[in-house]
Amino acid sequence: MSRTSNRTNGDVIRDFLSVADLLEEPQLAQLYAYLAREEEATVQELMNELDLAQGTAYTYVNRLVDAGVIEATTDEQPRVYVARDINLTVTAADGAREYTITPALIDAIARRTTDDDIDTYIDRHGIAGLATALTYTIDRERGEVTHRLMARDLDISPLAAEIILQALHPVVHEHFDIEEAGASVADIEGVDRDIASDDA
Amino acid sequence: MGQPSNRRYQVVRTFARRNDMTFVLPERVYDELTVNAPDVETPPIDTAIDEGWARVAAPLEYTNALVSRTMDGVQRYIANADDRPADKIERADPALAGVAAQAFVDETADHAYIYTTDTLAGEGAENIFASEGYDDSVTYVNGFRFVEDLLE
Repeated sequence: MSRTSNRTNGDVIRDFLSVADLLEEPQLAQLYAYLAREEEATVQELMNELDLAQGTAYTYVNRLVDAGVIEATTDEQPRVYVARDINLTVTAADGAREYTITPALIDAIARRTTDDDIDTYIDRHGIAGLATALTYTIDRERGEVTHRLMARDLDISPLAAEIILQALHPVVHEHFDIEEAGASVADIEGVDRDIASDDA
Repeated sequence: MGQPSNRRYQVVRTFARRNDMTFVLPERVYDELTVNAPDVETPPIDTAIDEGWARVAAPLEYTNALVSRTMDGVQRYIANADDRPADKIERADPALAGVAAQAFVDETADHAYIYTTDTLAGEGAENIFASEGYDDSVTYVNGFRFVEDLLE
């Protein structure tokens, strides 16, 4: 193997390890996902939006810069940070499955801090499992598959499939331009949709 | 919609009560919602049934032509979209359309609103009923949009 290809391998491994850090730490994933979504932000904006202490915000930003997944667009203060695109294909340990780490997947992982359904799913099925569920969520939103087919394919209960599909629904609509099909309350004839004075 | 303590559950209940509505579930769907939940004492659907705004449909009469045709049609529609054999499609997906067809046959309804988060099943039902001449009698309601709009 030539020295050049060794160096290329080194870069790929470095990239992979920095992304692996992101996957392990939901707070880092959350910061990355925010930047990927909002295009750019200063540390002050990150502190406000993600409710981070100043010290924590700087630590996270520096780690992500060192890892090479975000970068500053200017040297002037305050620095504006942007996310670098991540698109890394990983083959799972059994060699049979492949999944791609994308900003949408990192966003989904980041949400485990606030979403019990995503957290439970990762505990049971791992990051690779969540990546698979995300693919099914995209396909379902496009009207190509149902939650029961996902349940059958993955050998889980339809209820378990529906729960993770619902949890990932906002992630998919955040990252992909898919129009929501079907009617809503306004299209149901003869109903009173004003439930403001909630009797619950 | 989650547990009865969940706001999503509550807005749907309030909507049903305000409009004197009862949501009808196919038996197969009810079964799915009530098994494999050992950590939950009462499945939320049982609470909704006890509260009187949801009920389980009577068993479908597969011998009825409209019921069996619409169910087979939806099953094929789903199979085609996902490129797999029709016999590999769960019968619970077409059951939503089956319940609507049964209500038309029994003349207990002249319009069906099919609530589902599975776009494919909802669009399949609309499509098949249209080919049976029920174009304006079936509306697929997107479960996500429905609940989000109620929450607003």
